[in-house]
Amino acid sequence: MTATTEHPSPAAPAAPPEKGRGLFSRALEALLTQRVVLLVVLIVLLLVGMSILDAAGVLSGSFNADYLASALISAVPLAMLGLAQLMVILSGRGGIDLSVGSMVSLTGVVFGFAYGLWGWSLIAALVLAILVGGVCGAINGVLVAYIGFPPLIATLATYYAYRSLALVVSDQKPVNSPVIQDFYSAAQSVELPLIGGSLPLIPLGIFTFLIPTIVIVWLLLNKTTFGRRLYALGTNNVAATWSGINVKPNRMAVYIASGVISGLVAVVTVAQFASARPDAGTSGNGMALPSITIAVLGGVAITGGIGRVAGIVLSTLLIVWINASILLTLPGNDGTQFQLLALGVVLIFASLLNGLTRRKYGGI
Amino acid sequence: MSVDERGVSAPAVRATARRILPPPVTGQELVLVGVIVVLWVLLGLFTPAFLSAGSIRPLLVSVAPIALIGVGMTFIIITAGIDVSVGGAIMLCAVVTAKSLVDFDLALPLAIALSIGLGLLLGLLNGVLIAYGRVHAIIITFGTANIFQFLALRVFGSSTVNGIPGTFDVFGRGEAGRTFGVPHSFLITIVIVAVAWWYLRHTSGGRNLFAIGGNAQAARLAGIAVQPRILAAYALTGALVGLAACFFIAAGTSTLDQAVGSGRELAVIAAVVIGGTSILGGRGSVIGTLLGAILVQTVTSGVTQLGWPSQLANLFVGVFIIIAVGTDLLRQRARKAS
Repeated sequence: MTATTEHPSPAAPAAPPEKGRGLFSRALEALLTQRVVLLVVLIVLLLVGMSILDAAGVLSGSFNADYLASALISAVPLAMLGLAQLMVILSGRGGIDLSVGSMVSLTGVVFGFAYGLWGWSLIAALVLAILVGGVCGAINGVLVAYIGFPPLIATLATYYAYRSLALVVSDQKPVNSPVIQDFYSAAQSVELPLIGGSLPLIPLGIFTFLIPTIVIVWLLLNKTTFGRRLYALGTNNVAATWSGINVKPNRMAVYIASGVISGLVAVVTVAQFASARPDAGTSGNGMALPSITIAVLGGVAITGGIGRVAGIVLSTLLIVWINASILLTLPGNDGTQFQLLALGVVLIFASLLNGLTRRKYGGI
Repeated sequence: MSVDERGVSAPAVRATARRILPPPVTGQELVLVGVIVVLWVLLGLFTPAFLSAGSIRPLLVSVAPIALIGVGMTFIIITAGIDVSVGGAIMLCAVVTAKSLVDFDLALPLAIALSIGLGLLLGLLNGVLIAYGRVHAIIITFGTANIFQFLALRVFGSSTVNGIPGTFDVFGRGEAGRTFGVPHSFLITIVIVAVAWWYLRHTSGGRNLFAIGGNAQAARLAGIAVQPRILAAYALTGALVGLAACFFIAAGTSTLDQAVGSGRELAVIAAVVIGGTSILGGRGSVIGTLLGAILVQTVTSGVTQLGWPSQLANLFVGVFIIIAVGTDLLRQRARKAS
């Protein structure tokens, strides 16, 4: 079957570029069909635009490499959950995980108890967080893959359930102890060894959590049969079944992965807040909506089967730096409000673009 | 065997007629009624105050806006769509209406018209983007949810809206909000549910919605104007959000804070889904939605009255969604197997 062997990468051109086509038309096609190109262009535009504003002196702080690097702290949970959504949405059949924020809250509280109050070692508590996240994700996976729940409904139900559990087991109070407060050091910015002197300080979480996750997810999707199977069943579930792919366990696995990543994000969040807040992943807009936004902006087709790790990383950078830029341009309350607007406009823009490219070029 | 003028035997006609019209009340709705009755009896036994008018009335007042928006959401989900922006839309309608009440002391009809008009506009925006932009509804409405919230926060400024006059007391919890002891907001909701039930079941417009949700491509080929129908479903939801926003203002105090509407989209979707409407489209009923909303509110208010942590209510809501959808899935599987 071709479903297992076809190259699902959106970068694969449908036809060799015809001779005689103008540079402009080819550039336009690259911009529209290769989300990575568009994102890089947008990031460059943003950086150039903000540098000009900075030079004009209208910003409330200076827009430089240090500022951009410190803004990366919020990229860690966003990109990790974006990768979780990438895998879940890729698996097709309306795959989506609304419960990631609740899983972050719940595993964060459990981690807080184990590490902060029961005196577990960091490694043991980390393993526990991963396990709890994995179990939460497995419940989603069983509901979706084996019982046949629409993912939207299954994860809506568990969103309620996990959020409620997090608040009930913690008695609606943040879990706090000196150990957890010291854990804040895990969220600090560090200087890179060897070449670090000439570079800005970079948040530690980038190296301890984000980059390993990116590498593992990339390897899973691109270098394993599991990844190939995932693209196959996201592209065409029936074809995947008939080509001998064991659909159910594969689909369940992505929900478990989403739970495991949520568990890791919970640990990152506990470090950032220096306490285990039971509403860490659900307060305000929660973490589910931004992570889905990241995925859609990164070129993941909501119908499944199309999406790349590079898209997620770049769209996270774009969102994080847009947010940081807004804060510099409009300080205080205005800034946070305009971040909402930016997120909404970017999401609608990205999805309209996805639809347009699909119709015009037959792919993202 | 009698044969009519078209040469079709009478039992066959009757059988076709029966197939075309779904039963007026589905099995899932009867089960829901049963569950609600059992819950009310149990809660009545354990907390004697539960079955008093003083406890049921506020319950009905809080059911009203959820069920009202649920009617529109049922229409949308029947067409295989979804609208997660209603929380933001409630916030925007409520703050604009409340501000106008404070600043211009609008009369009741004007205030209602303003809120419904604004809601309709927001619904139209969603509808146009979804029906004509041909983009997945959940993504678009996630986006508009952010934009509505942004606009609402701009209107709020950085504080609450204070000193709202009692214009909306006719929808409130007080004496002015009741006729024969039944809250007006709940009565209005019942009437709208009844009209929507009739529309979905007995008019071609209503049946078209089911056809679109069942198979949009087939519906288009059958001559149904798919895009205008989808647009209308989102516009209707917007208008109902506008009316519900009036209920939210009325149910509160003279102060409106920025938490209004927050998380309501999920409560509405939960009510619709518990009511037996299929998220995949093509199947659903507004009576189920009303019952779902009552069930969710019963659990919420029951948990509080039992003295349990109020956050526990959401756990039950999650479990109810899984049970309601799960039994439906298993029934379908059994039907397919037989």
